[in-house]
Amino acid sequence: MNPNYELPLDEADYSFGFLDEFAKREVRRTILKAISIPGYQTPYASREMPMGRGFGTGGLQLTLSLIGQDDTLKVIDQGSDDSVNAVNLRHFVELTCPGVNTTERTTEATLIQSRHRIPEVDLTESQVLILQVPYPDPLVVVEPSEAKRKVMHGEGDYSRLLTKLYEDIVQFDEITISHRYPTRINGHYVIDPSPIPRYDVPRLYRSKALILLGAGREKKIYAVPPYTVTEPLAFDDVPFRTEDFRDANGHRRACGRCGATDSFLDELIAEDGSKAWQCSDSDYCNQRLAELAQEVSA
Amino acid sequence: MGYVAIKGGGRAIRGAEAALETLRTAEGDAGTPLSLSTIENQLRLLTSRIVSEGGLYHPRLAALAVKQMQGDTLEAAFALRAYRSTKPRLLEAPVQDSGEMRLIRRISSAFKDIPGGQMLGPTSDYALRLMRLDLANESPESFRDVARRFMDNVPETDLPDCFPKVVDALRAEGLLPAIDGPAGTPFDITRDPLVFPVARSAALATMARAETGSLLAIAYSNMRGYGDVHPTIAELRVGYLPVMLPHPVTGEPVEAGEVLMTECEVVAMYEGSDTDGPPVFTLGYGACFGHNEVKAIAMAILDRALQKGMRDGPRNPSEDPEFVLLHVDGVDSMGFASHYKMPHYVTFQSDMDRLRTTQAKVTQPRRQGENA
Amino acid sequence: MPDNIRSVGADWQPPSQQAAFRQIMNCFAYPGRLGQLATEAKHGLPLLLATLVDRSNRLADPHRLLDEDEHRRLGASPGSPEMSQFVVQPGAYPPDFQPMLGSLENPEQGATLIVVAERLGTGGSLHLCGPGIDGTATIAVQGVDPSWWQKREQWNASFPLGVDMIVVAGCQVLALPRTTRIDLKGVN
Repeated sequence: MNPNYELPLDEADYSFGFLDEFAKREVRRTILKAISIPGYQTPYASREMPMGRGFGTGGLQLTLSLIGQDDTLKVIDQGSDDSVNAVNLRHFVELTCPGVNTTERTTEATLIQSRHRIPEVDLTESQVLILQVPYPDPLVVVEPSEAKRKVMHGEGDYSRLLTKLYEDIVQFDEITISHRYPTRINGHYVIDPSPIPRYDVPRLYRSKALILLGAGREKKIYAVPPYTVTEPLAFDDVPFRTEDFRDANGHRRACGRCGATDSFLDELIAEDGSKAWQCSDSDYCNQRLAELAQEVSA
Repeated sequence: MGYVAIKGGGRAIRGAEAALETLRTAEGDAGTPLSLSTIENQLRLLTSRIVSEGGLYHPRLAALAVKQMQGDTLEAAFALRAYRSTKPRLLEAPVQDSGEMRLIRRISSAFKDIPGGQMLGPTSDYALRLMRLDLANESPESFRDVARRFMDNVPETDLPDCFPKVVDALRAEGLLPAIDGPAGTPFDITRDPLVFPVARSAALATMARAETGSLLAIAYSNMRGYGDVHPTIAELRVGYLPVMLPHPVTGEPVEAGEVLMTECEVVAMYEGSDTDGPPVFTLGYGACFGHNEVKAIAMAILDRALQKGMRDGPRNPSEDPEFVLLHVDGVDSMGFASHYKMPHYVTFQSDMDRLRTTQAKVTQPRRQGENA
Repeated sequence: MPDNIRSVGADWQPPSQQAAFRQIMNCFAYPGRLGQLATEAKHGLPLLLATLVDRSNRLADPHRLLDEDEHRRLGASPGSPEMSQFVVQPGAYPPDFQPMLGSLENPEQGATLIVVAERLGTGGSLHLCGPGIDGTATIAVQGVDPSWWQKREQWNASFPLGVDMIVVAGCQVLALPRTTRIDLKGVN
């Protein structure tokens, strides 16, 4: 390089939403096709973002292509707004999208970007849920070639995936898939619903909110439109089951903080080795605590 | 027992940033901050690697990335790529002719003598890998002496110039297939996702910005026997390529600048030909920004292997376009390996639920029913 | 056909396109609902296209609904309706082309048809059902030849192949993704 060259230090500003407008337009076109073909992994170019592939770059590109100054954004990771990755992503949006509001309240948000959870509170038509996806294709476990998987998806041929589930049952007497549970959308495509627990899978069913899923590294966007039938793959005699939070006596465990018995719980191990349970959705937990405090003071 | 506080993520991140920055500057008063031009020059091969893997020819920014990332090549290349995402594309360059490169080095292992001659140039290929302890305490004066001695001993005729390409001679002799027509529009991996099967240009573009070590490992598997390219280097060249762009007003091509690049052409044994003509050698091509010889060679071998795989079906991993092209990108692979460090509490909770349920079924036979 | 389809400066600005996209996306998510394109222009078509189309696309406009200037600003490559990702057509004329339907492996390559109608919210009623619709929805469309709906049904007969439609009238938009089924009984 020319020895007299100096880096232009005044060009450090980024445009609104970080991505250039061509990149946003491509993501937007892809979103429309993804909604039109529910569950189909629509390919797109996927730009490099200034955080690691696998840290939510797919979700982030969706968020940045959607967001405007009227929006209120909530970002969660493992259900929590204050998880390090959520803080980081939210901070990035605040930095590159001046004027956008952020919130920790699920009910206040117009856009919710999440990794691994769907909020406990039912979403509404005025909200869009954006899920970060590490592995978009549920057929990878039975077919490594993407070219072949695309044919199988197009034909709606999931026989090999069902065989895999059946082999599980023969060996373990249970379907052993814990999260990323393969789910059929509108009777055709089977999706990887992202690493949400099975507990969250029923929330996809006829959701009032549009759900967009973005896989940045694998360069795919797919969607579950509102009011769409979603079915986790299962068999008549071995039904789909969500995580079980009952203790040895069959009692539903409660959150140690807010007492909820209707939420997904994190299992915590204390210094002394004892265990405790706590809501994974921090906003849900906080809102319950606030309500309880009001009842006490009332 | 106490419960895990739901707050504190932001503070933790700020603390981590401070700790990282403290380590970078740990020498304190005794340290000399690295200048970008120092990195660009004294760590020139490191800078080369970053412009190549970053997919953006900007040595000064690459030097900044090296400094900021404390020497981590994966992170530095990544920073350059992310910077690239923010820049609109103003112009598309037409196909450039690498025959116009001003070479600082070119060798052929196929022929003893080649038109224009072999030119060893700046290489450590034949240097003894002995520790040069005199470098431990260099002075600016010693830098000047080295430069003066070099310039005094170089005849004017050895200054960079262009040379004819070795493969052109092979092609003229009918040993290589003729070039079939002008190249079509190359596949643009920054604007279109790879959907297999992909064009050769998509494979070449992907490998040109691939992570050097990943590319080398897969090429090495082919060299060792998981494949049979058996290449001969027809030509390896390093030099400055003038970049010609159409003038915004007249449309005439003008030289907008130059990029340092490495180019490698390997010749492999002939295959049955698709046409009825006589058999000819086959060619593999590698090229990348910067001075990165191992990368260019590995890429040329893989180009050959992939062309074979695209034609006859892959018989080895290095011949499988999906296997090679989806696993050589440093930004993708590094990011994904790192992401396992993030919290996975929810999914692990879900894993434990499955294991406990399955264990329960094994230890207490079915009588207890579903939710034992 | 309205001859006043002309963009205003703001149609080319990122904030207008962001807002327009959210309206359009909402229309795709909830077929049958009307979206409003916020523009000072008399017609929403230029903003709609500026939001979705750029030089990486092929756009067919066989009836020249947009003039040369608008096309130049969009920068899309001109193409035939048979070979373009985006096709703009006046709804008053029956469709006389076979759009791209995509393939089993790449159904997203099915075209997006942008049909310019006279009015939305009045006119012949369409009864819709499918993803994004809670039960059924009814929407009135004026100025679209009924043969469009029959053709659309043929094009979309083998999911996942098909076309996705955007109907635009003035500044109002309606989306009919390929999954939306139109009850053709009673369409006039």
